[in-house]
Amino acid sequence: MYGSLDISVSGMVAQRTRHAVIAANIANANVLYNAEGEFDPYLRRSANFSAGDPSASSADGRSMGVHVIDIALDENALRPRWEPDNPNADADGYIMVPDINTTVEQINAMEASRAYEANVAAAEATKTMMSQALRMLA
Amino acid sequence: MLIDGVNNAGAMPTLDAMVRFTAQRQNLIAHNIANVSTPDFIQTDVSVSSFQANLRDAVEERRDRSDGAFGSLQIRSTNEVRVGRRGGLELTPQTARPGVLAHDRNNRDIERLMQDLVENVGAFRTATELLNQQTGMLRRAMSEQAG
Repeated sequence: MYGSLDISVSGMVAQRTRHAVIAANIANANVLYNAEGEFDPYLRRSANFSAGDPSASSADGRSMGVHVIDIALDENALRPRWEPDNPNADADGYIMVPDINTTVEQINAMEASRAYEANVAAAEATKTMMSQALRMLA
Repeated sequence: MLIDGVNNAGAMPTLDAMVRFTAQRQNLIAHNIANVSTPDFIQTDVSVSSFQANLRDAVEERRDRSDGAFGSLQIRSTNEVRVGRRGGLELTPQTARPGVLAHDRNNRDIERLMQDLVENVGAFRTATELLNQQTGMLRRAMSEQAG
């Protein structure tokens, strides 16, 4: 039954990571410069999941569960904004800014949060089963 | 042999099979819940009704053999539920869960998953409670004889 806990925990870790990625997208929705101060508009990121969890401690946990396979950059998530006075503007007066829709991100965050709760409920159910099984020994 | 007879008395083998099945199925349900937002993930499960039918057949066969009072339960292995040498069950889900494919080609149905989770825990609790009662009775009988 420890395998079931591993599986639910892998779901919680994956959804938490996804939530962190979404929070980063919202926080950086208007960011035009990178950490070095160069003009480098923030690109939207997304956490991609894959079945199975190589980091689990039990065999069941490794063969089942879920993990984040990569955090992908969306190279096309930029849109032009007319700002002729900006030193980074092109010949037509446009600069590229992050194309991040905060409403979509909020919806994704809500979905991640609900999925996290579902995994917590599954872990709670497994804990109930474990304590029930322990009662047989007492 | 004596201990074997004690462990195989009455409804104990049936309850034991139920505990093993629900404990293993908990892995599958947790796996489906963990992959609720994994693209291309098709949710699968084992058929509870076919396991129950299989269990029913084994109980009937045991009843014919020993009047249902003693004896081990001979559960047949199927392509979904393989019975190990020591009575352990290994589940290989073959039954695709119903559900419409979402835009990421995942057939999730979180409400049904949570229902399955609750029902599975309920079945496990029922079986363990009944097993507890059986072992409690045995324990009382033993202590009275010893005392």
